[in-house]
Amino acid sequence: MSGSALTYAIVDGVLTGSVYALMATGLTLIFGVMDIINIAQGIFVVLGAYLSYAIQLHWGIDPFVGLLITIPTLFVVGIVVERGFMSRLKGPEKTAMSILVTYAVSLLIEGSLNMIFSVNDVQINAWYVNRSFKLFGVYFAYIYVFGFILAVVLLTALWVLLYRTRFGASVRASLADQTAAALIGINVKRVATICFGIGTAVTAAGGMVFGATNAFNASSSYDLISRLLTIIVLGGMGSLGGALVASIGMVMLEDVVGVVWSPIWSTMTFFIVLVIVLSLRPQGLFGKQLARTA
Amino acid sequence: MKRMSTVRVLAATTVAAASLITMAATSTAGASSGGLAKGAPVNIGISLSLSGDFSADGQAFQRGYQLWAKEQNAHGGLLGHKINLIIKSDASSPTQVVTNYQDLISQDHVQLVFGPFSSLLTVPAGQTAERYGYAMVEGAGGAPSVFQAHLKNVFDVSLPVANDLMPFATWISSLPKGQRPTSAYYVTSNDPFTEPQLPVAQKIMSKAGIKSLGFTVFPAEVTDYTSIADKVAAAKAQVVVLGSVDVPTVSAFMQAFEQAHYNPKAFIATAGPDQGAAFLTAVGAKNANGIMVPNAWYGGSANPLSKAMVAAYIKQYGGTPADINSDVAEAYSVGEVMTQAVEATHGFNNAKILAYLHSGKVLSSVQGPVKFNNLGENVDPTAFTFQWQGTKFVQVNPVGDPNSVKVIYPKPAWKS
Amino acid sequence: MRHWSRAAWALGLAALALFPVVVTNPAYTTIGVFTLIYMACATSWNMFSGYTGYIALGSAVSYGVGAYTMALVSIHANMAPGASMFWLVPLGGLLATLVALPIGAIALRVRRHTFVVITIAIFFVFQLTAINVGFTGSTSGLILPFISWNESYYNLPFYYVGLSLVIFATILSAVVRRSRFGLQMLAIRDDEDRALGLGVRTTAVKLTGFALAQFTIGMAGALYAMFVGQIFPQFVFDPLFDVSIALMAFLGGLGTLVGPLLGALILESFQQWLTLSFSNSSLYLILFGALFLVVILFMPQGIVVFVRDRVTRRSAREKAAVAAAETTLAGSGA
Repeated sequence: MSGSALTYAIVDGVLTGSVYALMATGLTLIFGVMDIINIAQGIFVVLGAYLSYAIQLHWGIDPFVGLLITIPTLFVVGIVVERGFMSRLKGPEKTAMSILVTYAVSLLIEGSLNMIFSVNDVQINAWYVNRSFKLFGVYFAYIYVFGFILAVVLLTALWVLLYRTRFGASVRASLADQTAAALIGINVKRVATICFGIGTAVTAAGGMVFGATNAFNASSSYDLISRLLTIIVLGGMGSLGGALVASIGMVMLEDVVGVVWSPIWSTMTFFIVLVIVLSLRPQGLFGKQLARTA
Repeated sequence: MKRMSTVRVLAATTVAAASLITMAATSTAGASSGGLAKGAPVNIGISLSLSGDFSADGQAFQRGYQLWAKEQNAHGGLLGHKINLIIKSDASSPTQVVTNYQDLISQDHVQLVFGPFSSLLTVPAGQTAERYGYAMVEGAGGAPSVFQAHLKNVFDVSLPVANDLMPFATWISSLPKGQRPTSAYYVTSNDPFTEPQLPVAQKIMSKAGIKSLGFTVFPAEVTDYTSIADKVAAAKAQVVVLGSVDVPTVSAFMQAFEQAHYNPKAFIATAGPDQGAAFLTAVGAKNANGIMVPNAWYGGSANPLSKAMVAAYIKQYGGTPADINSDVAEAYSVGEVMTQAVEATHGFNNAKILAYLHSGKVLSSVQGPVKFNNLGENVDPTAFTFQWQGTKFVQVNPVGDPNSVKVIYPKPAWKS
Repeated sequence: MRHWSRAAWALGLAALALFPVVVTNPAYTTIGVFTLIYMACATSWNMFSGYTGYIALGSAVSYGVGAYTMALVSIHANMAPGASMFWLVPLGGLLATLVALPIGAIALRVRRHTFVVITIAIFFVFQLTAINVGFTGSTSGLILPFISWNESYYNLPFYYVGLSLVIFATILSAVVRRSRFGLQMLAIRDDEDRALGLGVRTTAVKLTGFALAQFTIGMAGALYAMFVGQIFPQFVFDPLFDVSIALMAFLGGLGTLVGPLLGALILESFQQWLTLSFSNSSLYLILFGALFLVVILFMPQGIVVFVRDRVTRRSAREKAAVAAAETTLAGSGA
């Protein structure tokens, strides 16, 4: 076991983890504000990747520039899904029902993507996808660094939106307590719709980086959603900071275990850590203590 | 009142469901006999994974089967009967594959069945066919686990996978001392298709003094290969033997190697580079240069049967010989082997076909000669190694074979 | 009233029992076997998750343990392929229950949302173990002794054993529902803290319910392994297994007795038929997703509750109409 392999594992963990953080933030935001577990987040990422792929293929637009198109597109997709389906869910079984509804939505999108793009794997290509530069004796791949910068920029923007604007104040109020937020005159419904839109829009960026670093097809969504779900649970559902820490921590843990021990056990180590953490801290690392039993 | 309603609902739905199911299924089962009315088409039943995990291969198999049927029909079909393929999708699921073959045999009354894609589905499919007394010729169930089932009706026309890497290992071990690499890294997906192949190569290469710097197994369901690939790159071995089942795996390793500025002298992957155009699209045409893959067939094969198939394929789908997925040839070979069995037994009697296939006769296919042992393994084929040289896909091993060209060694630098 | 209910159950049972006699096509009786397996599992799952409100998404662990019990014992005991292997079905259930005890002890320390995720995480630990250790055959799977019964009657024994599992699960579920133990589970669903306050030993009740529910699921897994003849980790420890049975229970009506039965009957047979009929394109995914969406949005409480509400409302309306008409008649007659 060489030291440089371990260095790479840690660097990969931070760079890749930040992109997962971006996708997971959307998921945890949606849960926090709406009590909705969005199983379709995985297929939204793949949809974002396919959109970037398609506009590059047909119009020759660079994937990073193309985000100016794909992010608003997925924002609209999110709004439509929320208005069309999610807003109809009510009652004590809302969270459980949301799993089923979003699963159905993801089947619909998966089937459509299969019909449009076929099931052959594709990958987004650009000059920076396979190249790297050397810094302090370590090779950094451009795509991962660019992806990291993108994630940091978007997460910062999201942070500013949530903590420095009026709208952000309403979102945070809804995150803390939906009933109380409604009582002080916040339009919780509108906040929810926009949050679902934002939660979906970030997948456009996450999807683009995912599509440039992995060959993918529609069924890649299953692996993605199971990772994202475990990340937000570990971080604490509804906790934005938790999603960030858990993403980077998880990817790094998997990479380090893979290098030091064997890749076979890296996923399993992660799940065991998850079980232990949740047994001791049921609300996750940074989750708020659940007052309600439901 | 409330209770009464529940009862009504229950009664009404049960009756409705029962009658629906009864209506849906009307015909009874009946095994097909050897005879077929004059002019009637011969139906061949196939279950393929057209969606789900194995769908890329499943669809390539479908093209191979369809191409064979079209060509054979142009030459008068089977014993004068027009071939009609009935293809159902199993969505890569072993429960669906069982239902599909039962439906094909008992409902559609197919005369013959061909195998599904993937070693994972071959056993349940073969068992179902065996209970009906049907022979199942297949092209993609070559993992050792399939033959461990000891089914008497399953015949794999392709190369048993365990020995795939032998020509490569033998060639690289035979290089003169100055050229021979000194170290190798073995990394494989945890999969019944790939895992048995690597130790065979490792043994031969170690004997020739090529040091093993590592043997890493990674889980099949992994999506992010970066850290594994970086670990391999950090070892700086001169040869990388990758046990891969698909294009995304190979593509991810290539990308990570390039990013780490690591270029092994030889790079061979057990599957992925043999997928023709699908491989080039994913990795970029220039970067494929020098990548190797073991297999039994390639688009440039000198075998006259293969040449005819390649011409027919290009006529129908366009492209070049290098674009053709080797799955197509595997499926096509299944059709050819069945044709010879049907013609030799003068009918569609599965008992006679089974006896014929077990007789040890050497049959021919686009992938070369086919001869089955008592387990249904094809013991006759030669394994080859192929290499991407520019956008050409050529045969390089065994050295000395008249159709082998010179290996590009060491592998050229990455160019993307 | 009561004998109506009995008649309906008897009719349903008769329809299921006679199905393979009327429909002899093995493709359809195979769908029948899988449907019965899912009916038994959904009913058993509902007996814990539906009654307590604790949605478990790790029941595939029990299914897998049952399947591996069947495979490993039949292989290593060199059992003669045939009907004697059915004796391993209850053994599979028993082992699944035993395995569930420590799992439940860990997972049930937490409340509902977290419980769902812990069950998923534990499930993955089991799946990955099965993939990565030797005695399970790893990714090559295990091949069971080959049962060479003729295909024309091969499905029948499996069908009737499957039907017995359904009957067993249904009776158990009904008995539990009427028992004190069942009432305690319902109390936990409605308000766990209050149930605790009223002296219900919630942890013990939950753990017992959880372990008991795994028995039938383990038996179903063993039956599946014997029926299919070869098992792989990813197919018996299948994450979609739990999504399916939860869906079935929701579709039919969570917490009701007949709901999961109906949900499994409709969903499993429909899905298999859909794949069989529209398999050559991804259209079936779209059809399935769309149908699924419509059902959840329009019948959020499940078919049973939806239809019952309609019938109740209509009969109420009819009664009102009759009453109104009578008044009018009475008025005009006067």
